[in-house]
Amino acid sequence: MSDAIISARGLTKTFLSGDRRIEVLRGVDLEVGAGETVAIRGESGSGKSTLLNLLAGLDTPDAGTLTWAGSADTGAKRRATYLGIVFQSFYLIPELDALQNVLMAARILKGPGATELARAKELLARVGLAERARHLPAQLSGGERQRVAVARALMNAPRLILADEPTGNLDEQTGGAIIELLLGLSAETQTTLVLVTHNAAHAANCSRQLMLHAGRFG
Amino acid sequence: MPWYFYLALKQLFPTGRRFPFFTVISVVSVALGVALLIVVLGVMGGFAHQIRQTIIQTEGEIQIKARGSIGNYHDVVRRIEAVPGVAGASPYASGMLMVVYQNKPSFPLMRGLDMASIGHVVSLEKFVTAGSLDALDDDAVILSEGLADSLGVPIGANIEVYTPLMLARRDSEVILPHTVKVVGVLRFGHQELDKSTIYCTLRLAQELYGLVGDVHGINVRIQPGMKEDEVAERINTVLPPDARAFSWMDSFADFLTVLKLEKNMMTFVLLFVVLVAAFLTMSLLLVLVLKKTREIGLLGALGASRRQIALCFCLQGVGVGVVGTAAGLGLGLTVLHIRNDIVRAITRVTGGQELLARFYQFSELPEHIEVRDLVVIVTAALLLSTLAGIIPAVIAARLKPVEALRSE
Ligand SMILES: Nc1ncnc2c1ncn2[C@@H]1O[C@H](COP(=O)(O)OP(=O)(O)OP(=O)(O)O)[C@@H](O)[C@H]1O
Ligand SMILES: [Mg+2]
Repeated sequence: MSDAIISARGLTKTFLSGDRRIEVLRGVDLEVGAGETVAIRGESGSGKSTLLNLLAGLDTPDAGTLTWAGSADTGAKRRATYLGIVFQSFYLIPELDALQNVLMAARILKGPGATELARAKELLARVGLAERARHLPAQLSGGERQRVAVARALMNAPRLILADEPTGNLDEQTGGAIIELLLGLSAETQTTLVLVTHNAAHAANCSRQLMLHAGRFG
Repeated sequence: MPWYFYLALKQLFPTGRRFPFFTVISVVSVALGVALLIVVLGVMGGFAHQIRQTIIQTEGEIQIKARGSIGNYHDVVRRIEAVPGVAGASPYASGMLMVVYQNKPSFPLMRGLDMASIGHVVSLEKFVTAGSLDALDDDAVILSEGLADSLGVPIGANIEVYTPLMLARRDSEVILPHTVKVVGVLRFGHQELDKSTIYCTLRLAQELYGLVGDVHGINVRIQPGMKEDEVAERINTVLPPDARAFSWMDSFADFLTVLKLEKNMMTFVLLFVVLVAAFLTMSLLLVLVLKKTREIGLLGALGASRRQIALCFCLQGVGVGVVGTAAGLGLGLTVLHIRNDIVRAITRVTGGQELLARFYQFSELPEHIEVRDLVVIVTAALLLSTLAGIIPAVIAARLKPVEALRSE
């Protein structure tokens, strides 16, 4: 088996909406090695989010195989430690402050101890929110919320970060800062990054660019 | 602490400025249901308890009655007192009398008490509101408060007493009454007893009723912690053939059965209030699940299992149940505690305190809550709240992370 961080072969996905069949993915092959940063681009509706959900093990493909570090186990337990996900919407839990939102990723694995707390604080400081640890999501700006989400994705020291248009809800400048942060952090921590983006400039900063078109990389 | 426990707590009681409307509304509704149950059952239990107290305080737990009268009663009393579990026994005679004071007649019930032994069964002196029990001799009587009031007799005045026996004795043309002195007033706080009773010595009662050495019955007090029924059974084995021992429960069996039936019906009906509160909790939790669909998806993406997500929401139902039940317990017991102030406040506005007292036999609203009732209420409230959490929990658990995340 390959030592790829993530490897997908012939992924297909078709949605039935009413009596229409939408063939979104028609055999996607993808192999991402350790330390790579891969940008996925494509038109709106080309299936980028669908692909990312398959890669994250959140959805099952109609056909094809997926392995994480050579293992086909893509269950919830493994997902929690193997990868971190950043979405277009931030999905922070409104009742929890920034620090607890970051810690939530660790909490789902086991009761967080002093090590985890220290790491969460460190990550918040790294994304520039050390002073905002006790603030609730409602008290943070969009860019700040996305930074909390980035810190949360890194909480369990994943091998891979999947980011689905993380700048989609942010203005140009804030978005640029988030991408810089993601690229910087993945370089620092040797984390592999798969980034879905519309932005050509952001994609250009990645080590590899892929274009999703007609359900395939072409 | 597992994450679902932590998150359930945080969603119920968020930190910071967010006021937990959802929690407060559900908790209050459960609390009101529980409090209502406690208050109603407490007051209904109070009636049964009050009746028991009144009977026990005035007659002891067990009454010995015979078809006619009981002869050789000293011997019978001695045998009863030897029965294990018996604390004391006191014979009595009773019957109707006519009393006249300043041409005003009244027809009270007479109770002739054996002054030597009555103290073993009843502490009458506790209930004397005027005069004194010690002054009661064979030419004196003590009146119940209602009787003293209606006749308008002061302490120390003489009243005339007629007995049915005098009417039966037709040989003399002039019926000569017995004159006795009023030396005290008794008040038990029970409308029926306080209305029209006259207390005298056993000897006087025997004389008035021509009983010559017989009594009508014997009151028995049992030792604390003994069962009335069991002691009554044992007493029956030493009684003369025509006499029988009745526990207070036997005497009031019909009343107690009705009371118990009413209590069960009330419990059943009021449990619906708790059920409605549970439905409210459930609907609010459902709204919460819908509102939090995307976060539930995120939890799934972070690696939470369906079972854990279900637990997170179910625990919120449990949390509402626990807090609501505790608050309801506190509220219910507090209301029971200050019930008479509440009744007074209400009757001050609406009037009719006397009417209330007359209707319910007691001058104060009684209260007696049994631990068993509390256990039933608490269990039911917790159970229903938990069930209320289960349906939203199942719905939350059935959400697929991708779909939940896609939802708008
Ligand atoms: N659950 C679903 N049911 C039906 N159709 C779906 C479902 N999920 C996705 N689709 C369809 O699949 C196609 C691809 O959707 P997807 O969200 O992957 O696009 P995308 O490339 O991420 O687009 P965007 O850039 O706008 O985010 C769309 O036409 C969408 O309508
Ligand atoms: Mg998308």
